Amino acid sequence: MTLPAHIKFSMPWFHFAGILCALIFFQSCETEFLPQNVNLDPELVVEGYIESGDNALPPYVLLTRSKPFFTALSANQLDSLFVHQADVTIDDGSNKVKLSEICFNNLPPSSQKQLAASLGVNPDSVKVNICVYIDLSGQIKPQENHSYHLNINSKGKVVTAVTTIPKYIPLDSIWWREAPGKPIDTLLQLYARIQDTKGVKNFYRYFCSINSGGFKTPFNSVYDDALIDGLPFEFRLIKPREEGEKFDNPSFGLFHTGDSIAIKWSSIDESHYNFWNTLEFNKGNQGPFSTYTTINSNIQGGLGVWGGYSSKVYKLKVKR
Amino acid sequence: MIRSLFSFCLNVFFISFLTSQNYTVSGYIKDGANGETLLGANVYVKSDKNKNTASNNYGFYSISLPAGEYTLVYTYLGFQDEEKKILLDVDQKINIDLKSGVLLKEIVVEANTSLDQVENTSMGRIELSTETIKKMPALLGEVDVLKALQLLPGVSAADEGSAGFYVRGGGADQNLLLLDEAPVYNSGHMLGFFSIFNSDAIKNTTLIKGNMPANYGGRISSVIDIQMKEGNDKKISAEGGIGLIASRFTIQGPIEEEKTSFIVSGRRTYLLDLAQPFIKKTNFAGTNYYFYDLNAKVNHRFSDRDRLYISGYFGRDILNYNSTDRGFNLNMPYGNTTLTARWNHVMNSKLFMNTTAIYNGYNFKLSGDQDLFSFRLNNGVKDYQAKFDFDYYPRPGRTIRFGASVIHHQFTPNIIQGKSGEVTFTNDYKPKYGVESAIYYQDELKLSTVITVNVGLRLSRFDQVGPYTLNDRTYRSLQPIKTFIAPEPRLFGTFLLNPSTSLKAGFSLNEQYAHLVSNSASTLPTDVWVPSSTLVNPQRGLQWSVGWFKSLHEGMYNLSIETFYKILKNQIDYRESYTSNQSLEIEKAFVFGKGAAYGGEFFLQKSKGRMTGWLGYTYTRSWRSFDDIENGRKFPASFEKPHDLEIVWNFEASKKWELGAVFVYSTGRPFTPLRSVYYIDQELVTRYAPRNSARYQDYHRLDLSANYTPHPNSLRKVKSTWSFAIYNVYNRRNPFFINYDFKSDLASGTAKATAYKVSLFPIIPSITWNFKWN
Repeated sequence: MTLPAHIKFSMPWFHFAGILCALIFFQSCETEFLPQNVNLDPELVVEGYIESGDNALPPYVLLTRSKPFFTALSANQLDSLFVHQADVTIDDGSNKVKLSEICFNNLPPSSQKQLAASLGVNPDSVKVNICVYIDLSGQIKPQENHSYHLNINSKGKVVTAVTTIPKYIPLDSIWWREAPGKPIDTLLQLYARIQDTKGVKNFYRYFCSINSGGFKTPFNSVYDDALIDGLPFEFRLIKPREEGEKFDNPSFGLFHTGDSIAIKWSSIDESHYNFWNTLEFNKGNQGPFSTYTTINSNIQGGLGVWGGYSSKVYKLKVKR
Repeated sequence: MIRSLFSFCLNVFFISFLTSQNYTVSGYIKDGANGETLLGANVYVKSDKNKNTASNNYGFYSISLPAGEYTLVYTYLGFQDEEKKILLDVDQKINIDLKSGVLLKEIVVEANTSLDQVENTSMGRIELSTETIKKMPALLGEVDVLKALQLLPGVSAADEGSAGFYVRGGGADQNLLLLDEAPVYNSGHMLGFFSIFNSDAIKNTTLIKGNMPANYGGRISSVIDIQMKEGNDKKISAEGGIGLIASRFTIQGPIEEEKTSFIVSGRRTYLLDLAQPFIKKTNFAGTNYYFYDLNAKVNHRFSDRDRLYISGYFGRDILNYNSTDRGFNLNMPYGNTTLTARWNHVMNSKLFMNTTAIYNGYNFKLSGDQDLFSFRLNNGVKDYQAKFDFDYYPRPGRTIRFGASVIHHQFTPNIIQGKSGEVTFTNDYKPKYGVESAIYYQDELKLSTVITVNVGLRLSRFDQVGPYTLNDRTYRSLQPIKTFIAPEPRLFGTFLLNPSTSLKAGFSLNEQYAHLVSNSASTLPTDVWVPSSTLVNPQRGLQWSVGWFKSLHEGMYNLSIETFYKILKNQIDYRESYTSNQSLEIEKAFVFGKGAAYGGEFFLQKSKGRMTGWLGYTYTRSWRSFDDIENGRKFPASFEKPHDLEIVWNFEASKKWELGAVFVYSTGRPFTPLRSVYYIDQELVTRYAPRNSARYQDYHRLDLSANYTPHPNSLRKVKSTWSFAIYNVYNRRNPFFINYDFKSDLASGTAKATAYKVSLFPIIPSITWNFKWN
């Protein structure tokens, strides 16, 4: 297991090193510049999920293009990132199902709300014509221990991927504790316990929704069980930062009393884990003492992820 | 095979010994003021300079000549020449105390060291005395031997302000750093911004950029041999200094005059100590960071034949981070320890033996806890070494060195132990052990008055040994698991075109059995050393070099032009999708490949007179290729700076004022730029272009310094000096790294991206007060 998220993120020595540097060297200086564009063709980016479990969404795929470095993009330019009229199919071994493309602007308001909620965004603030390839007919019945092949053909460009929905490993229990250190009246920390299955490589990811908002992930959202194989393990679940919320060390990761929250706990397969693990490492590994990490994609011929989840949602109120 | 080679060495030695018909003058050459032995001092016959020798690393010299009357001349840079008339009809022991030339600088005829540089077979070898280093401007007033080395051609700095360095296109782990012969595995304090070498305790620093003599091994790029002072054997003295971030204190003196002496030297930073009263009032009470170094050495002369040195170093960086409100604390101590015991024994006037026992270790610990969770992580290296080195001087113009060494290594990987609630967990990694042994033979031989060759062979062997469990098989202690054996030939030659000009050429092959791979542009305390094993093959370096050496104006100036070509095999890097995953054995994240480096170096040095300094220019290219990184595409090494220029200037304006300046210019180092960005989970994610396919802006910087001695002729016991320095005088914003900032809300249709060049070091003035007490 990589270190639990709160320790990984709180492990402040890099941050501390930054403070030290600043103290010693009085000031560092940032100068804005425009990087030279590397003249390479855009690539297809896949973000697709297939999920079994509570209130699971039908399988869907967002298909976009990568873009060279820019300074600012308008809503129209963002619209143009979406790839339309691609042939997107999911093969579960016995069925090949073609996904339908639906775009936000073409949906009735009720469906817009549904799509916005499933993407974790506020429907009233959506300005971009988000398009999704989705199994509207419900022909695919995602199941644990099954593999699903994704095939995409966009104007002759073929992209493939495979993911497995692993067996779900549930949270044994979930409970509130006082904030670490000096207790704070309005804040609590959330703990959970899991009984990992011995001898099987397990990978986990979790999401959190506050007051019926969209599910968001904390800075480090994935775990493996290399260090806790077969153990009963207690760990802290971190509250993700909400939209516009600034980083605040004293309240970082803590939940506000009175809120209603939902935790979605998922089992994922190894390549799915590797994608998020490298993506999150890459995001956190910026700065003077780091080099780049390539994000480990399971997409053949493109970028992104085709990820299977087996999930369960735990709803609870933040209270003592 | 080892046995037969050893008997060959002994045979050569005894045959040479038995056939000798000459008488021998031998002894030690020392600094008359404090008894410090002088390394590399020259001895020659006045009437025939071709009959010469030089003192070894312990100040011992030996010269054998036919019976007769001679005048021997002893010379050493910065000291007055000493002449000694002898009637040689029996072996003689002559110890020489040279007098410093400082007081008589205007009239002294200085040593012919420059000419020696032309004549000897050393290539890419530069010695820097601490006195020279102390005259240069220093960042925040902290004099640093490793940063001084970066100003030499062929050596480039890791990052701005960093004490890390790369030599002739080789990696950071390919430099053998020796402190009194003990290898140092991590030479940096404070994320590498300062080296662990306290200049007050250092006598001499020798850099060998390639073509290492056969007595050195274990790294494929360079040797930095740092000698600690031995301690004044004539009188007690002390020195120290108070700087902006650290203070130093050194005391040395005789325990028994001219027999036993000691030196103890310490340094400690107090950056956050000064801020403690403020920190105490905050949520971060208890948070502190400092580093310290302690060097100590004692030596005892039992007789003219036997001398014992015991020296040690202990240094730590300590970081404590507390967040009392959140009940979080973190503790991170790390550092090096070395202990060296050496016994010099003059077996006879021609044969000098040094027996060395060494312990050295590097240890990194990190522990933290918050609420129900706690963890400890540690890694490190621990070596025990025994070494036997013999110097044999059969006749003038021939020096034979041979010896053997054995090192027991313990490499501790990142071992993590944690507790979450009632459950404890660990990655259960075990240390890896290795035994590295070598024998060597090296013969420097003057074939004629114009040709000198140095032939050497080092035979090295590395065994990964138990205790270890691999594939369900348990290996007991010292039981070999995997063995590597390699002959490492070394061949150097000098052809004297005229008394002041020579051509030199050399070839060397080196093996490296300990490896460090960093995911950062410079090495960090968290980086882990690993041994060669079933998972990692030894690195191999082959180097060819050719050079032209010229001494001008009676040795006032040295001029050299050297070129080199290096082939690097079994190079190591992290795979592209590396993440710092403590549950994965680090070797599993490695990829293996090859590399090469080539270049040329120009060096013009003035080492005598009131104005001294040098101009160095290096052109280097260095590439790496790994099958598992971009399908083997050759990419420039992350530290490659094709053009690298240094100008170092020092001027003794008066007895009170000494001025210094350093100017450096280099091509910007490569970095991996962004290829594109894309959306995942409605956030922008970075996609990188081919590795190291862009470069930072060119780097340049000017530093100035002035040392002021208010009362240079004072007869008072305490003398003080003020050192003023300005780092980065014209406030050049050299880029340190590039930072990207993305602000995007896909749904609401806004996206903004900004790239920043971040520079760390603006203009930085500093002041240091130094004192000496005699």
